[in-house]
Amino acid sequence: MTVVRLTEVARVHGEGATAVHALKGVSLEVAPGELVAITGPSGSGKSTLLNLAGGLDRPTSGTVHIDGRDLATVRDLAALRRRSVGYVFQDLNLITSLTAAENVMLPRELDGVRSRLAREEAMTVLAEMDLADLADRFPDELSGGQRQRVAIARALVGERRLLLADEPTGALDTHTGDEILHLLRARCDAGAAVLLVTHEPRYAAWADRVVFLCDGSITDSTDMSLESAR
Amino acid sequence: MHTAYAYLVGMSIRHGLLALLSVGPRHGYQLRVEFEASTGATWPLNIGQVYTTLSRMERDGLVEQGESDEHGRVVYAITAAGRAEMARWFSTPVAQSDRPRDELVIKLAMAVAAKEVDVVEVIRRQRTATMRTLQQLTRAKRAAMEGAAQRLVLDSMIFQAEAEQRWLDHCEAVLKEER
Repeated sequence: MTVVRLTEVARVHGEGATAVHALKGVSLEVAPGELVAITGPSGSGKSTLLNLAGGLDRPTSGTVHIDGRDLATVRDLAALRRRSVGYVFQDLNLITSLTAAENVMLPRELDGVRSRLAREEAMTVLAEMDLADLADRFPDELSGGQRQRVAIARALVGERRLLLADEPTGALDTHTGDEILHLLRARCDAGAAVLLVTHEPRYAAWADRVVFLCDGSITDSTDMSLESAR
Repeated sequence: MHTAYAYLVGMSIRHGLLALLSVGPRHGYQLRVEFEASTGATWPLNIGQVYTTLSRMERDGLVEQGESDEHGRVVYAITAAGRAEMARWFSTPVAQSDRPRDELVIKLAMAVAAKEVDVVEVIRRQRTATMRTLQQLTRAKRAAMEGAAQRLVLDSMIFQAEAEQRWLDHCEAVLKEER
């Protein structure tokens, strides 16, 4: 049982002589409860891989399955993304005119969930992350680490079991960065599948499996299977 | 082991024991347990090392024997000279040049010099191995909930492994341009 599965995925930008092969036939699976880190130098294809895994971009060839569904055959991809996948990015995280709780409620309200229920769900996930006291604050009233935790809460609200994180520790100091990884790890241990992109070895090391990407191909992996990690 | 390095390690055990004794008198076994607990079990001591170090410190007037406890174990206490020595140690920064030569650095330099060695492959293997070490250290840190001293020791090892990893990435990028 895998949450996300990429099979021989390639992505080419442009055509002919100027074509850029961002990914060259990458295969990867993430199971529930597993934290997989993708690491590699700038331009190695890390973010392209993450965007393909979350259905934000379509592969030139190969297939992507989320919860067993081939994304190429999904009619309403936006709905599937909203319901099954949570995203955390380095920046562009929170809407500044909404409070922390309202930010977390937003994807559920877009999904047609009533405002009262959406707020209940938001408060539950915020409480799990020790953020209940900050629920009514606006993003600019929060520290960098708190903002990122709210973004993770938003990524996890509802029944989403796949979390994609692109450099979520961005400009945070190492101690706050460790706290973010602690949180991602805890969500994994509670059954979520997490795919983390980072160029920082110290954060990649929190993963069950670290995959090294270079020039669009997987060059190596620590291959720590779920069984041997437990 | 490099002799000067062994000497320095010996010095750190001595100062470590002084720091523990500054809290109050202890017997040898107790010192060993507390030493290992504070260093996150990354630096195992045998009881022989503890007693040898204590008797040298006694000779140098840094500690003195007190009364035996109910089990007949000798209790040691720090002296005024011992406290002065400990204060001197904490107020002196550690010199960078005291580290032993790094086999990995030599290996990579030689791999470049040897021409027919696939340096990129050497780098990749090392990087994966170092990442596994980093994963183990991170798991140990997550498990070490009690004791800030322990976590900070593990953090130091994590920063060192991370520095090695970054250096390997750097080597790969530099060699890519050279080719």
